[in-house]
Amino acid sequence: MTNHWIDFKNADVILVMGANPASNHPIAMKWVMRAKEKGAKLIVVDPRFTQTASKADLFAPMRSGTDIAFLGGMIKYILDNNLYFKDYVVNYTNAPFLVNADFKGPGELNGLFSGYDEKARKYDKKTWGYQMGEDGMPKKDPTLKSPNCAFQLLKKQYSRYTLDKVSSITGTPKDKLEAVYKLYGSTGKRDKAGTELYAMGWTQHSVGTQNIRAMAIIQLLLGNIGIAGGGINALRGESNVQGSTDQGLLFHLLPGYNATPSASLKDLNAYIEKFTPKTKDPKSVNWLSNRAKYITSYLKAIYGAKATKENDFGFAWLPKIDEGQNASWLMLFDKMFKGQFEGFFAWGQNPACSGANANKTRAALGKLKWMVNVNLFDNETASFWKGPGMNPKDIQTEVFMLPCASSIEKEGSITNSSRLAQWRYKAIEPIGQSKPDAEIMNELFLKVRELYKKGGKFPEPILNLTWNYGKKINIHDVAKEINGYYLEDVYDKKATPPKLLGKKGELCASFVHLQADGTTSCGNWLFSQSYTQKEGKVINMMARRGKTDPTGLGLFPEWAWCWPVNRKVIYNRASVDMNGDPWDQKRPLLKWDAVKEDPVSKKPGVWVGDVPDGPAPPMAKDPGKYPFIMMAEGKGALYGPGLNDGPFPEHYEALECPLEESLMSKQRINPTIKIFGEKEDAFYSCDMRYPYVATTYRVTEHWQTGVMSRHTPWLLEMQPQQFVEMSRELAADKGIKGGDRVKVKSGRGEIFAVAVVTSRFKPFKIGGQTVHQVGMPWCFGWQYPNDPKAGDSANLLTPTVGDANTMIPESKAFMVNVEKA
Amino acid sequence: MATNDKKTKGVLVDLTRCIGCRGCQVACKSWNERSVTPTAVSGSFTNPKQLNADTYTHIRFVENEKDGAPVWSFVKDQCMHCKEPACASACPVGALKKTASGAVTYTFEKCIGCRYCMLACPFYIPKYEWSKVLPWVQKCTFCSERLGEDKQPACVKVCPTGTMFFGNLDDVNGEAEKRIKQNPGKYVNHIYGKEEAGGTSWIYLSAVPFDALGFNMKVMRVKHPDLTWNYISKIPAVVGLVLTAGAVTWAITRRMNAEKGDKS
Amino acid sequence: MKSHSEIKMWTPSTVLFVLLIALGGIVIAYRLLYGLGAATNLNDRFPWGLWIGIDVLGGVAMAAGGFLIAGAVYILNWKKYKPIVRPAILNAFFGYALAATAIMFDIGLPHRIWHPVVMWQIGSVMWVVAIHVVLYTTTLATESSPMVFEKFKMRGALRAVEKIMVPIVLFGILLSVLHQSSLGAVYLITPGKLSHLWYNSSLPTLFLISAIMMGLSMVSLESIISGRAFGHAPDKDILSGLARGVLITTVVYLLAKISFLATGPGIGAAFAGTMEANMYLLEMAVSVLLPLALLAMKSTLESESRLLLVNILVVVGVLINRMNVSIFGVYRDQAATGMSYFPSFMEFIVTLSFISMAVVGFKISVKYFRVLPDPKA
Ligand SMILES: Nc1nc2c(c(=O)[nH]1)N[C@H]1C(S)=C(S)[C@@H](COP(=O)(O)OP(=O)(O)OC[C@H]3O[C@@H](n4cnc5c(=O)[nH]c(N)nc54)[C@H](O)[C@@H]3O)O[C@H]1N2
Ligand SMILES: Nc1nc2c(c(=O)[nH]1)N[C@H]1C(S)=C(S)[C@@H](COP(=O)(O)OP(=O)(O)OC[C@H]3O[C@@H](n4cnc5c(=O)[nH]c(N)nc54)[C@H](O)[C@@H]3O)O[C@H]1N2
Ligand code: SF4
Ligand code: SF4
Ligand code: SF4
Ligand code: SF4
Ligand code: SF4
Ligand SMILES: [Mo]
Repeated sequence: MTNHWIDFKNADVILVMGANPASNHPIAMKWVMRAKEKGAKLIVVDPRFTQTASKADLFAPMRSGTDIAFLGGMIKYILDNNLYFKDYVVNYTNAPFLVNADFKGPGELNGLFSGYDEKARKYDKKTWGYQMGEDGMPKKDPTLKSPNCAFQLLKKQYSRYTLDKVSSITGTPKDKLEAVYKLYGSTGKRDKAGTELYAMGWTQHSVGTQNIRAMAIIQLLLGNIGIAGGGINALRGESNVQGSTDQGLLFHLLPGYNATPSASLKDLNAYIEKFTPKTKDPKSVNWLSNRAKYITSYLKAIYGAKATKENDFGFAWLPKIDEGQNASWLMLFDKMFKGQFEGFFAWGQNPACSGANANKTRAALGKLKWMVNVNLFDNETASFWKGPGMNPKDIQTEVFMLPCASSIEKEGSITNSSRLAQWRYKAIEPIGQSKPDAEIMNELFLKVRELYKKGGKFPEPILNLTWNYGKKINIHDVAKEINGYYLEDVYDKKATPPKLLGKKGELCASFVHLQADGTTSCGNWLFSQSYTQKEGKVINMMARRGKTDPTGLGLFPEWAWCWPVNRKVIYNRASVDMNGDPWDQKRPLLKWDAVKEDPVSKKPGVWVGDVPDGPAPPMAKDPGKYPFIMMAEGKGALYGPGLNDGPFPEHYEALECPLEESLMSKQRINPTIKIFGEKEDAFYSCDMRYPYVATTYRVTEHWQTGVMSRHTPWLLEMQPQQFVEMSRELAADKGIKGGDRVKVKSGRGEIFAVAVVTSRFKPFKIGGQTVHQVGMPWCFGWQYPNDPKAGDSANLLTPTVGDANTMIPESKAFMVNVEKA
Repeated sequence: MATNDKKTKGVLVDLTRCIGCRGCQVACKSWNERSVTPTAVSGSFTNPKQLNADTYTHIRFVENEKDGAPVWSFVKDQCMHCKEPACASACPVGALKKTASGAVTYTFEKCIGCRYCMLACPFYIPKYEWSKVLPWVQKCTFCSERLGEDKQPACVKVCPTGTMFFGNLDDVNGEAEKRIKQNPGKYVNHIYGKEEAGGTSWIYLSAVPFDALGFNMKVMRVKHPDLTWNYISKIPAVVGLVLTAGAVTWAITRRMNAEKGDKS
Repeated sequence: MKSHSEIKMWTPSTVLFVLLIALGGIVIAYRLLYGLGAATNLNDRFPWGLWIGIDVLGGVAMAAGGFLIAGAVYILNWKKYKPIVRPAILNAFFGYALAATAIMFDIGLPHRIWHPVVMWQIGSVMWVVAIHVVLYTTTLATESSPMVFEKFKMRGALRAVEKIMVPIVLFGILLSVLHQSSLGAVYLITPGKLSHLWYNSSLPTLFLISAIMMGLSMVSLESIISGRAFGHAPDKDILSGLARGVLITTVVYLLAKISFLATGPGIGAAFAGTMEANMYLLEMAVSVLLPLALLAMKSTLESESRLLLVNILVVVGVLINRMNVSIFGVYRDQAATGMSYFPSFMEFIVTLSFISMAVVGFKISVKYFRVLPDPKA
């Protein structure tokens, strides 16, 4: 989230597209309702009329998988009708930047960008770069007239997304499209704020990342990034999923979004060189130029005294991935399915139900030698070998169950979507033999280290690790290590005389103090300040519970702590004009006070309000800085050459779709997605056997695969069975009535479900033909309730295909058939 | 039985705010330690379909259409805590009582299980533990123990969207009027419960006409106890009449018979 | 002609009745052990069923003959009816016993049946009903006591009771008037639930009138039947007198029903073709129209078998009325939620068993006490 949960209340228009917060984030929906009470308008765009839609001022239905078409049309509408916020676009985004004259877009290349290599299903991005000036900076045209400037390219790209075309792709009636565009476009004024809330409705597509990019473009055009009531807000899922991503859950990231090194990087310098963005623009902060400090402090945190300048701070001991290796979920299970690894820790997950193409996933588990299930309960994964269609005699996988303490039986922090890390306390002792995850990991590590002490292939990474949290792990020690320490007395050498920043052995005050010379340690630079020390006193910032709200904008700066440095709205320097005056006087996050003295520098000129994105003066002042400090060029990226599938989002159909050809271009599917080739991965597009578009989603009453909710009688009573929702029209075609038992079938599997026939689903008119869509939850599994009518996971139906950038499975758009059972 | 609206508690259920999350339904079960009944999915998500001895409140998912577009409403049902409750007036042993807090409460120890309260309640609220050997009448208690400790009812407390406005009945009624006045066109101009059954402590506002939401529109706008009190209050007169008429008749007929020479 | 003590106890029908009583006993035991849900088809939308409809409402209405005949004999001094005063009172006693027993097992917590006696709720019709049942059953027992005292030759007690008979009868009349009407009053609190074919503010009065109709018919019916069963020809004069009483009340009842229908939902409502409307028509045909048609014929008053038919029609018709008010009149409203009600076989057995009990009890009384006048030599 660029903003935070409470901030929704500050918006004038809220677009919920790709999420259903009334069902899945009811507590967050409170803030949407607050905004509405103050007169805000709520727009919901979803294939079906959801609980959130029931509260909307404007609802637009849209066929699953066509968001880019929908949003592309919005970009065109905003540009055509001059609804964009010109000052913002010219000054704060890369709209004026000139792109390589050889760059060509999908309009010219039949749906592709220049540089496509069909064999490798990859782009050579040579032509995507900027035209560079003599000064080493990209050339710009502030008039936005040059045909090569990002703004004109944007215009060109979306000139093809006419209302007629968009409507024929999405199935959204034209009047609805226009109404949405107009209402959302109304937030392009300096004193209007529009926010966007999305989640899995956008990410779980082969074009997932580009869905979000499309919205980022709109928000930049409308000047909605960095302001109160604005932003692009991922309603993240599992309570601590933000925290786990921050701490390096993903295969390609170390804690703090430092890239995982690949084997081809010889040493730390090579790593730093590769991952430190550069700019010649003196007005760009280019925050990530600090990469060396963060990676070095990280190495110091994990290898301690063993990490020295001489041994490259132990860089060699870091685990590496192969160059270009993709070790994401689908790939792992594909490899497992092919028998390419022996053992697997299913730690706090239930892949037998949550993984796309569950039949393949379940079969893959059977190819393992051993599996360890660390979980609160037995689940469909731990017991996969006795699941439907399995013959226990044929399965050799040895399964171990490690009972784990639940969240209320252990202490620690969790970080929510607002990037807010909150300390939680243990309410009760763990039941039975269960232990907190950290204790299990601790024991596991100590045991492994013991074994390595007796010898092993490459023992250094294990033996050199600092691991001193005690025999029974002290979670505060872990939190402090993440925050980081001054390992020596650390001075600000730029000041004369050098000023003491921190004393040896104390907890770091913030990432601003981190050093690249090994004098600081920090497990995750973003969390530096979360567990800190002030005047010698240790303060767990995450445990704070102050309830003051000085700005009235709901920032609550004394409640827990959020990264970075407790800044609630990131890029908040974009909320003011080039002189530091708030665009919107009603909702000022920041204001540059040129007279007031800066307490640190003792010079006049200081930001007042929220924690600013850096202390430098606003852009027009000297030495002013651009607001987008995380971008090398300092600007919001209308044009984004970083992604695999193009610098602008382009509409492609889902891997499985009801159309023979895309109505947008010759390129039906995303040209850069990986196509899995096994029989089990088969996909069926425009196939009469699977004529209906399907999607999967959540219900309030169940949690994910339902392991934690299906066993809760009160919840199961409310949602007792797998169901499939469909329109009255489709039901009439199929002779199905509400409450009937039906079979839902895809090319990969089938499930039983109870039909819910409703006017909340309506058939779509797509390219002149009627296309039906159905939808179902994925919270059931074969294990419990032990009743064939309750159903099995909807993931038995979903395809093995992921987003071109993240590899998140496409569980929101695929094709099925529905028959009366 | 009469209550003071300044002191008794009430709740305004503003259906325009309900998002159907059913937190209230679970909170009620949790606080009141209620069990479950087997359910199945049907055309809608309402479950259990009816209130029952284990379900004091539930959300009804009601689908309508307006100009071809779906309208989806979530309606919270529970005891209305009538100002003059039919159930309490019906109870032959005073097991149901309107209390000073506003809650209509039940004392099992008094109840004989006649179930007249169930027949009497115009909102079909009291439910019976049919399968128990010593069955209770069950219904929403307004979390009266919580009210006693100056706490909000469990369902009110848990609601993320402030669907339920809790306070002194006077303020609750005032809030309802205010919301209608301040938001022209938002609500139908009807506060359900303001007059139904002579006024209830739980009242409703809605954007969708109440009859389309399955509210009982047949409920008479009278204090229900009056319906039977009209009869009971005449009993003394009947007693007087019958006894006098009987005695006089007896005297006259006896004399007449005696005159006829009857020996008895 | 046989003297009463010669009445044969174990006739086939009596054996059947006793078997039914035994079966009923088993069902009652089952109900007590496993609860109402196990034994009945009652549910949250149909909290009252067959037991209340027939056993309680019907039983009480059947008993109305007791206070009427007692009133006629003791207050109006219509000596003609003296021979049937004992059977009528006994009949009422059994009617009430039937109702009281049914209530006993219909309520969820039978062991607390006494609660209303100590937990006064004067605002509750149900309390009024309960107190009346208690008081009137006692009154009826007192009214019936002379034959017991006679049998056991307790002269003193007999004399004492006979002395206070008139006030007791007067008290009984009062209680009956109140009780019959209060059963109607029970439904006053169900506007909107009970169909307007039946619901109106004069339910108590209608219940009272129909109870009189039924009470008279019941006495007449029972005279005829016991006459046949015990070889005791009923007095023609008495029968035709009762029939005239039935005729008058039926006319009054018909007028009342028509006027309430007309001022309420409208006459047309009875012909709406719905289940309720049809039940209403059936009720009216059986309880009022057919009996009136028969009674309109002079010859009916002369024919015992015709009178038998009239009486049966009235009794059944009023029972249908009670079922209509308690079940069919609320059916559509209650069933709107998908719940329905049809009595379980156990409910039927218990109802049959209670009726059997009344019949057998009556027979035993006739056999062992001087219920019927001694057969004239
Ligand atoms: N009660 C409950 N809450 C949860 C969870 C839970 O399991 N239960 N899970 C948590 C987790 S981990 C997550 S990630 C979040 C997910 O939160 P959400 O993203 O809100 O969850 P979903 O219900 O999967 O999908 C949201 C909506 O996307 C719509 N949709 C389907 N296809 C498309 C499409 O192509 N385009 C658009 N625009 N919309 C589409 C669906 O109809 C659905 O209404 O929820 C979290 N909250
Ligand atoms: N078709 C379809 N598939 C989907 C999605 C979809 O929208 N549609 N959504 C996807 C998304 S967004 C997500 S996040 C995934 C979720 O996929 P999973 O994470 O595999 O599913 P969960 O059911 O959340 O599994 C979590 C497990 O952790 C256990 N657990 C709970 N607390 C603890 C704890 O403290 N420690 C340990 N060790 N275990 C614990 C629970 O019992 C449960 O078994 O599913 C994905 N799958
Ligand atoms: S489950 Fe927890 S995190 Fe999710 S909305 Fe409810 S309170 Fe918030
Ligand atoms: S709603 Fe029914 S149960 Fe509740 S107080 Fe009113 S009459 Fe009694
Ligand atoms: S069932 Fe209990 S609470 Fe209800 S009226 Fe009868 S005695 Fe009162
Ligand atoms: S007031 Fe209490 S008992 Fe009544 S519905 Fe709410 S939580 Fe349940
Ligand atoms: S908790 Fe509130 S929003 Fe949720 S269903 Fe209940 S009343 Fe509605
Ligand atoms: Mo998620």
